[in-house]
Amino acid sequence: MTEYKMFEGCTIGNRIPFIEAASRKVFEKLNIQTSQAPFSCCPDPTGMKSFDNNAWLAIGARNLCLAEEENKDIISLCNGCTNTLRGVKHQLNHDSSKKERINLELSKIGREYKGTIDVKHFVDVLKDKSDEIKNLITKHLTGLNIACHPGCHYMRPSEWMESDDPMRPMNLKEIVSLTGANVINYDVEALCCGSAVHNAYEEYGALILKEKLDAIKKAGADVICVNCPACFQQFDTQQRNLTKNFEKEYNIPILYLTELLALAMGMSPDEIGLKFHRVRLNSVIEKLGL
Amino acid sequence: MIDFEFRKQVMDYHMGSDIIKYCYQCSRCTDYCPVSKVTKDFYGTTGYDPRKNILNALLGYKEAIFNSDSLTIWGCTVCDTCDELCPQNIELTEIFTFLKNESIIKGEGPDFLYSQAKAIFDTAKAIPSQSAIERRRQQLDLPAVLSPNVDEIKTLLKNIGLDKKLKED
Repeated sequence: MTEYKMFEGCTIGNRIPFIEAASRKVFEKLNIQTSQAPFSCCPDPTGMKSFDNNAWLAIGARNLCLAEEENKDIISLCNGCTNTLRGVKHQLNHDSSKKERINLELSKIGREYKGTIDVKHFVDVLKDKSDEIKNLITKHLTGLNIACHPGCHYMRPSEWMESDDPMRPMNLKEIVSLTGANVINYDVEALCCGSAVHNAYEEYGALILKEKLDAIKKAGADVICVNCPACFQQFDTQQRNLTKNFEKEYNIPILYLTELLALAMGMSPDEIGLKFHRVRLNSVIEKLGL
Repeated sequence: MIDFEFRKQVMDYHMGSDIIKYCYQCSRCTDYCPVSKVTKDFYGTTGYDPRKNILNALLGYKEAIFNSDSLTIWGCTVCDTCDELCPQNIELTEIFTFLKNESIIKGEGPDFLYSQAKAIFDTAKAIPSQSAIERRRQQLDLPAVLSPNVDEIKTLLKNIGLDKKLKED
C-alpha cells in the first residue's frame, strides 16, 4: 500500500484546518494512507519565489529531502505547494549548476537533494480513484449546480505540472460530476481568482475576481468548487467586499473538492466544520436536504 | 540606454537562453493577461504590460523597467497564462521572477512580501501557528502540525543571504 507524506501547507494547516479535516476523512474512506513530516513552508510560488528564487529553491528542496529520506511521495492539498515542490524539482533536475549550488547549501545542514520522489496534487490522486469514489457516493447531489474553479497552479505551467489541459481543465469537473451534481460551464473557467495580485494591488485583484464571479453568477451556480486554499480564501473572504464596493449581491458559497465529496459520501456538515466558512452554506444544505 | 550586463543576466536566467531572442512581439501575452485587462486604457498606453517587459528585458533597457511605476514589475499575478499561450515557448513568468527578485534587492517590492519572507525566516512558515487555530484543529480531531526545524531554515536562508534583504518591522 502506498503511503504518502501529507503536505497540508501553511494556509490549510494554520488558517483553514477544516479543509484538512474533510480531506483526511475522504482519504480514509478511499484508503489513501498518509503520514506527517515536519515540513516547513513550501514556500509560496507567488511569494518567496518572487522575493528570492534561490531561497525558494533551497527551502523547497529541503522539504523534498524530508520525503526522500523516507522514500515516500508527497500528496499536497494545495495548488501553491504542489506548484512550488514540482517547480523546484523541475529547476533542479534541468539545471545542473542550480542543483550543485543548492546541494552545497543543503550539505551544510546535512542533507542532499536527489530527485527520487514524486509530488502529487490530491486532485490527481483522486482522479485515479474515480471508480472507488463512485462506489462510495451515498448522497447524490442531484440538482446542485456547481461551477468548477481549478485555479492557475494546479495545471500551469503545464511543462512541470503535467496534470490537466492548461487552458481547458477537465479533471475537477470530472470528479465533481461523479457526485451526481450538475457541473455547469461558464466563461473564463481558466481565469485566475486574482489572489496573488490582490496582495499588492487590492483594487486589481478585486476586478479580476469580479469578472470571474460575474460569469459564475450569470451561469446560475449554486456553489463554486475549488481545489486550492488561496482561491478558497479569495472567493470566501472577498465576496462581501465586492458587494460593498460594486453594490452587487454575490453570496455564492464555496466548497473545497474534499468537502463536496465528504457530503456526497454521507458525512454531515457539522462533522467537517462547514460552519467555519464565511459565505454561509444554508442554501446548499437546504437544497440537498442535509 | 542599453545595460549590457542586465541583458546578459536576462539571457542567462531563461532556461534555454536562445528562446527569448525569438520574441516577435505578437502581444498574445498581454492580450490574455488578466491584469492587463483590468489596468490598461483603451490605447494600451498605461497599465500592466508583459509584452513590453519582455521587449525591454531582452533589449537591456533596464531603466525603462525599474524607473517606472511599480506596477510595471509587480502587476504580475503569476497565473502563468502567458507562458502557456506564447507561440515561441518563452517562459515569461521566469523572466518576471528575475525582475521581481531584482526589485526586492533594491528594496522596492510590495510590503507583504517582506513580511512573508520575515515570517518564513523567523518561524519556517509563511503563516505561523496560532493557539486559536491549534484549538480548532483539536476540535476537528486533527493531529497537531509537526513543528519544522527553524534553525535549519535560518541557516539555509542566512547562507543564501536572504536575511540581508529583509526589512525591519
